[in-house]
Amino acid sequence: MSEPILEMTDVSKRYRAAGGFGRGRKGFLAVDGVSLHVERGEALGLVGESGSGKSTLARMANGLVVPTSGTVRTDGQDIARLSRRGLRRLRRNVAMVFQDPLASLNPRQTVRQTLENVFRAHGETTSTAELAALLESVGPGADYLGRYPHEASGGQLQRVAVARALALKPALIIADEPTSALDVSVRAQILNLLADLQRDQGISFLHVSHDLAVIRLYSDRVAVMQRGRIVETGPSDEIFRSPQHPCTRALVEATPEAELPA
Amino acid sequence: MPDPVLQVEDLCVSFTSGGVTADVVRDLSVSLDGGRTLAVVGESGSGKTITGRAIMRLLPRGASARGRIVVAGREMLSADERELRRARGSDVAMVFQDSMSALSPYLDIGAHIAQAVRLHDPSVTRRAARARAVEMLDRVGIPEPADAVRRFPHEFSGGMRQRAVIAMALVNRPALLIADEPTTALDVTVQAQILALLRELQQEYGMAMLLISHDFGVVGSAADDVLVLYAGRQAEYGSLRDIFDQPAHPYTAGLRAATPRLDARLDTGGERTRLRAIPGAPTSLRDAGPGCAFAPRCGLADQVGERCVVEAPLPTVRPTSEGGGLHLAACHLDRLPALKEVAR
Repeated sequence: MSEPILEMTDVSKRYRAAGGFGRGRKGFLAVDGVSLHVERGEALGLVGESGSGKSTLARMANGLVVPTSGTVRTDGQDIARLSRRGLRRLRRNVAMVFQDPLASLNPRQTVRQTLENVFRAHGETTSTAELAALLESVGPGADYLGRYPHEASGGQLQRVAVARALALKPALIIADEPTSALDVSVRAQILNLLADLQRDQGISFLHVSHDLAVIRLYSDRVAVMQRGRIVETGPSDEIFRSPQHPCTRALVEATPEAELPA
Repeated sequence: MPDPVLQVEDLCVSFTSGGVTADVVRDLSVSLDGGRTLAVVGESGSGKTITGRAIMRLLPRGASARGRIVVAGREMLSADERELRRARGSDVAMVFQDSMSALSPYLDIGAHIAQAVRLHDPSVTRRAARARAVEMLDRVGIPEPADAVRRFPHEFSGGMRQRAVIAMALVNRPALLIADEPTTALDVTVQAQILALLRELQQEYGMAMLLISHDFGVVGSAADDVLVLYAGRQAEYGSLRDIFDQPAHPYTAGLRAATPRLDARLDTGGERTRLRAIPGAPTSLRDAGPGCAFAPRCGLADQVGERCVVEAPLPTVRPTSEGGGLHLAACHLDRLPALKEVAR
């Protein structure tokens, strides 16, 4: 077995309180000594309520947030020890998809410019044919290249965001609530697209979501967060069949089912 | 049998901008009795929020409504401002998704509720209105209500704020509550509490509830009847059981199949299942042609042929389960083929 694509060991993040009120000088411990790993080709689901620290943890995985303590290794490399060039390589390897594509795509750039910039940032050039092929591989046709974000639907935009993440052939995609802003009928399209990428291209996923039902279907393993800690982790079927921790149980019980009451 | 609390007949809502008028809701008819919950389900552009606002006569500038809306015996579309002021709050009240924007950051929670009381009955003293606010906060489950009335919206958590908004909406005992995605912004555990609270208050007050939602999970745990809207038109209407057990519109069936479930019965022994997605994106009435607005995304349109493209289907009566009540669907197909719940 090769080493995990992502390995976080005893990672903590303390945010300093801006004004010094309330929580005082100690600040706020958003992530508290978390260890987790994502195997190659695996989809790990990270669930928890708002404020549980799941987004902070996800952002530490690709260096967007610097941990207060602990180590983060992607592809075996400690990202705290990376040079600027090394960090740049890391960001080729670890891509990110955010919740709201309208907010994560530059409104003043066409889809073509958005995608071209990814290549340019890494010193690569690309052809129209390559960009068109990239877009087509996730859904929207080449005619989307000339469009601005406001000229596309939410689902098509999220596909553009996925294309941007795929541009440099990453090994790991961190998806932070990638479908929460989408309509129900479109959400399933995007989830299936991500599942295809995992199956066909062997891309690993760290999928952050508050929606247990989504995670249950689309993750191999699940980690449940509460107040900055991982309180339960295991294969998704098992976790949802017999949740052990009270927090997981509360989440499972509170999730409303599209089912008739028995 | 008493008159329904809400009656909507042939409601059309249109927007005018730049001299062009376009319908966003067309030919909507529905009625709702006291003590019952009707869920209005739809996606972007379906007209679900606009319908709720039309009932309150809170349409944005440039929008106008035709047809007939009767709430607790009052004609809403022909009512003047004075009548509307009386109707809002005591006949019909509304709870929105974002509780922060429903509350003024400059007023304490008590002032919001007291204001609602005194607007409807100016003879109530300030002190008495304030006392009503404390009572109401207690009723919606806010701890230490005498203390909580003096707090400001930003001091409350999202769930507590939504409770305060519910207290404000219900303080005058409206006959109809319109709840527009009331739990969408909340965590699941808080969502379950708020839905339980709404159910409880509804039974206590015997009020009718129009629950606007995009989430079949929420609908399944709260609704008696369901209205499914697509592109501003009624796609299907029926009891929760009929909508879930024997949907007659391909869109309803498709939405269900696209909704992930936590249900342990879906356990596959480690093998991953996939949701069945509906291709394409939701449209609005503005972009729809003369035919069925769902036809371009419908996997069954081929079975019917050209009719789906040229003729918009009207709601027709469908079979119901035992004691199911009215079941309507607007589809040219008489019967849906059996659909597998989860496609591989």
